[in-house]
Amino acid sequence: MSVDTVIEVKNLSFRYAGERKQALKDLSFTVGRGEFLCIIGPNGAGKSSLCNALVGLIPSYFSGAKKGGVSVLGQDTEGTSVANLASKIGLVFQNPFNQISYTTSTVEEELAYGLCNIGAPRDEMRRRVKEIAETIRVGGLLRKNPLELSGGQIQRVAIGSTLIMRPSILVLDECTTQLDPLGSEEVFDIVKRLNKDGITVVMVDHDMERVARCADRVLVMNDGQLLAIDTPRAIFNGIFQSHGVDMPEYARFGAAMSGAGMYGGPALLTEREAINAGKAAIAV
Amino acid sequence: MRIEIRDLRHTYPTGEEALKGVSFTIEGVTPVAVVGQNGSGKTTLVKHFNRILSPTSGAVLIDGVETTKQSTAKWSKRVGYVFQNPDDQLFLNSVRKEFEFGPERVGVPAADIQKRLPEIAELCGLGDKLDSHTFDLTATQKKFCAIGSVMMMDPDVIIFDEPTCGQDVEGSRRLSEIIGHLEKRGKLCVTISHDMKFVAANFPRVVALCHGRVLIDGDSREVFAKPELLKKSFVSPPPISRVSLGMGFEKPAFSVDELVETMKARRRKMA
Ligand SMILES: Nc1ncnc2c1ncn2[C@@H]1O[C@H](COP(=O)(O)OP(=O)(O)O)[C@@H](O)[C@H]1O
Ligand SMILES: Nc1ncnc2c1ncn2[C@@H]1O[C@H](COP(=O)(O)OP(=O)(O)O)[C@@H](O)[C@H]1O
Ligand SMILES: [Mg+2]
Ligand SMILES: [Mg+2]
Repeated sequence: MSVDTVIEVKNLSFRYAGERKQALKDLSFTVGRGEFLCIIGPNGAGKSSLCNALVGLIPSYFSGAKKGGVSVLGQDTEGTSVANLASKIGLVFQNPFNQISYTTSTVEEELAYGLCNIGAPRDEMRRRVKEIAETIRVGGLLRKNPLELSGGQIQRVAIGSTLIMRPSILVLDECTTQLDPLGSEEVFDIVKRLNKDGITVVMVDHDMERVARCADRVLVMNDGQLLAIDTPRAIFNGIFQSHGVDMPEYARFGAAMSGAGMYGGPALLTEREAINAGKAAIAV
Repeated sequence: MRIEIRDLRHTYPTGEEALKGVSFTIEGVTPVAVVGQNGSGKTTLVKHFNRILSPTSGAVLIDGVETTKQSTAKWSKRVGYVFQNPDDQLFLNSVRKEFEFGPERVGVPAADIQKRLPEIAELCGLGDKLDSHTFDLTATQKKFCAIGSVMMMDPDVIIFDEPTCGQDVEGSRRLSEIIGHLEKRGKLCVTISHDMKFVAANFPRVVALCHGRVLIDGDSREVFAKPELLKKSFVSPPPISRVSLGMGFEKPAFSVDELVETMKARRRKMA
């Protein structure tokens, strides 16, 4: 394992107890320090299961038959306690209601929950809660009961309660599904900023335009298998529609222009690239 | 079908004025999309269509009858509302029971229920899940279970509150199919959505709300041709529309193929 590899997945397979089908089938890949990796694939592909495996919830929390393994910062996740892992790698769940503890009565307590569990000193706790509340913009909600929040607010608190453990790797499983486009961009901006500051990000996302724009690499899954892992430009040059995931509209536009003999360049990944290529095609 | 909204205002007991005078009319069964940022009043608005909420002032008339003239129970036979969060709606222990519950409660004969059930289950992609517990469904399946159980009531108007969140190609395709199916059967479908690709592809009419008021209401081509105005409700036209507008075309394209065709025509003209 090179010094710059922070996650190594090796021949990982998993079948949930009581299920016949393998949820994960012989996956191998690595994630580099500071990388922004996006995972895409249709519902049921195994994306959430992979997230669970990355943070050690598989197999410590979900029982089943596991083969191969995951190591995070050089440590095998199997046999490492979840509490120990939480300071290395944090998961923001697909459903934020699965994330909140239901045992706290204010957002402030909810954010501090993880720190409380590891016995952090009170001042330290207060300082970090304040800092995180600012990062995720829930400063005005600290005294509210988590159960009274809107979906979008809850989603931010869920991210906050993960971030507060200061993991160096952040795994986000479709964490903006409850948000409107603006709220979703806001949360996403937070994630991008954290990534700029050096945090490694693994993110499951359905928004292909965003994936094309932001990922360093894209991992495509279907039916428990890893189909490809490569740069967005390489991935969206191919034909992944057949695997139940959309291509970003810009890339489809590029492909359609190529088909009509109007464009011959690489896959288009952003609105700007698409507009420029389109203008060039009608300027001739 | 006619829904008339007259200067509708709604203030919640907390003092929050969620709707500040909304007026528009829906006539016929052409699907309508309601868009706008979180908190703009979309859910509050549509909850008035079957009197889950009553106006603080103003009125909603369904085929000329004020909603306040009848009980919610009565209205729910005509106007079905699929909740934003399916967990707010599902509570029984199998998909089949969820599907049977509504129509049974309002006295639909068992034979009719059994006739509706397989077709709706199929449309919702739950044909082989009828005896599964709703806890065991995936988030998408839960959403379709909630949609199916409202369709089982066979209402004249059906409202979907953010049905596409976090869905993939397959889920959106299925939903388009359901929307098409409803229109063909003479049912009006009103859908709240944040997914502008989905809106452009399925809804000829778009109503955009902003802070409890109607910001724009019109033909979706015209609405998506005004990105600057739409920004106020934090809505952005679908990516391919933005590309076509960015290239200098006046009308927003709604699909990649459409844009490429327009470009071909432009090139022919210039040649
Ligand atoms: N807790 C669980 N118990 C049993 N099977 C599960 C569980 N979670 C997921 N699965 C199954 O594993 C497969 C992959 O699911 P999942 O990882 O949730 O996919 P995705 O996140 O890509 O939608 C599916 O067949 C799903 O039914
Ligand atoms: N039950 C409620 N009690 C008090 N305020 C509410 C309630 N439901 C919604 N609101 C408020 O009304 C406004 C509009 O909310 P809503 O109709 O849910 O918007 P949208 O569906 O567009 O996100 C928001 O400011 C929201 O906080
Ligand atoms: Mg998932
Ligand atoms: Mg709403």
